Amino acid sequence: MQVMETVILAIYLIGMTIIGIYFTKRAHSSEDHYWTAGRSINSYVGAFALFAALASSSSLMGAVGSGVALGIPFLFAYGFGAVAILPFTMFLVSGQIRRSGVATLPEFFKQRFGNSVQVVSVFIVVVGMTFYMVPQMTASGLIGSYVLGIEYKTAVIVLGLGCTLYAALGGMWAITYTDLIQGALILIGMFVLAALVLFEHGGLSALVQDALAAAPHFGDVTQPWLSYFGLFLAFLWFGIVSPSAVMRNFASRDARTARRSAMWACLLYLLVFVFGFVVAAGGASLGILDTLENRDMIFVSVIEHYMSPVLAGIMFAGLLAAIMSSADAMLLAISAGVARDIYKEYINKEASEKTVTRIGFVVMIVASIIGILIAINPPQLIAIMVGWVGGFLLSSFGFPLVLGIWWKRANKQGALAGMLGGAIMFLILVITEPFALVSEPIIAAPVSLLLTIVVSLATSPPSEEIQSRVESYHRDQKAV
Amino acid sequence: MKSNSRIKDPGIILTIVLVFVSLFVLIWWPTDIYLMGISLAGWLMFSTYIIWFLLAAIYVLWIEKKDENNE
Repeated sequence: MQVMETVILAIYLIGMTIIGIYFTKRAHSSEDHYWTAGRSINSYVGAFALFAALASSSSLMGAVGSGVALGIPFLFAYGFGAVAILPFTMFLVSGQIRRSGVATLPEFFKQRFGNSVQVVSVFIVVVGMTFYMVPQMTASGLIGSYVLGIEYKTAVIVLGLGCTLYAALGGMWAITYTDLIQGALILIGMFVLAALVLFEHGGLSALVQDALAAAPHFGDVTQPWLSYFGLFLAFLWFGIVSPSAVMRNFASRDARTARRSAMWACLLYLLVFVFGFVVAAGGASLGILDTLENRDMIFVSVIEHYMSPVLAGIMFAGLLAAIMSSADAMLLAISAGVARDIYKEYINKEASEKTVTRIGFVVMIVASIIGILIAINPPQLIAIMVGWVGGFLLSSFGFPLVLGIWWKRANKQGALAGMLGGAIMFLILVITEPFALVSEPIIAAPVSLLLTIVVSLATSPPSEEIQSRVESYHRDQKAV
Repeated sequence: MKSNSRIKDPGIILTIVLVFVSLFVLIWWPTDIYLMGISLAGWLMFSTYIIWFLLAAIYVLWIEKKDENNE
């Protein structure tokens, strides 16, 4: 057991829990406050919150692990899509969704296409986000088992449940404000670690040479072109199709704040990938990849090698912070889907706010237990699992959403065909593995696009009312 | 904003720029040229990070300018 690291981690987790409890009262004062923090977050808090929600365990451990295991161009491909997430989302959907006045992605689908599309979309959100818990739980288990000196399985269970409890208690208020701290910790931690690595090797050029000496394929494109393209697509679309990131956008005070938050969060994310490059090179230069039981552990090894126990403790706290904030945002998306979009919408319209919030709590617990159970035996590298989630959501939601905003003629039948067709095609490709790793959306997303267009054109157009609503998504940039 | 002017929407124009930059990287894909021991295809992807941020900044300023003109 690493005593100093454990103490710092414990102080951190207790601090976060206190913040969670402090915001509980505020969160439970109204349903809107619980889900979107009363829409009153300013642009700096919003930028860190958006950044922390995106900079998941995968951005840190996964990207570094994949950069060392599969060559640094793989990490660059990860950032190639990931740094573009926020600009791409802003360009195509965020202003329009905000103007539509809805609070969740499935609500938008209901407004635009009707009830059946909403129900299908909730199902996809719940499946996607529940699987997305797996890489988060895997990462927390790896850190926990190293720091606490306990079994990986025990660490997954303890940390997973702790994180759930805290998310469930505070809703978006707690998540947004603790994200401010977590976002800062990730950024400073990565900066300090990168600086230490550079200092020890005497600059970037010497560091890369050391990495190449220990791992000759470090600079190579080791995977088929399709893998890099697929990874790029899956991450590029993540902001558009990920319900948790979109929900963050609604928590900003107004449209201007939302845009500025996204712009600054993009810069923070860019920096993380630049630091990640240095950290991955430091990891490769250690030459220990083949000795690790799990290749995602390389990041932990870099921290251990280059940092003192105090700094390492802070860094592990930053990593766990990243995991917690991402997992929390996902849990919130899952519980919003089931409690608000299904229970209140179709099962009990008269349900009180308290009942809806309580059901959300139970849903969170169930989803995290499923995530924990799968994470006990993780099926792939963290970066690949996250790529699958992005690819699945892109293949099902991407085009029905974008066409729903930009094309008046898109209708319910087209959206349903696009969503189900894309999702099913994606799952077939993941199971049968006919192509390179994470290349599934290259086929499944165009299938969804074609189905949405062809089926929409083959069936009757949406009503005049819906068509004029589509126009209103694009009217008056300030009126939100 | 009328539907026939959507092609002039800043979001659509910047999306087209983003797609062109991505296509340039993915079509050229110079895996056999190396700089500092790392494939140029990798460096090209790395260099897009700053382009993506600049596109985000351009979008924010563009929309704010548009808002000012509308007032």
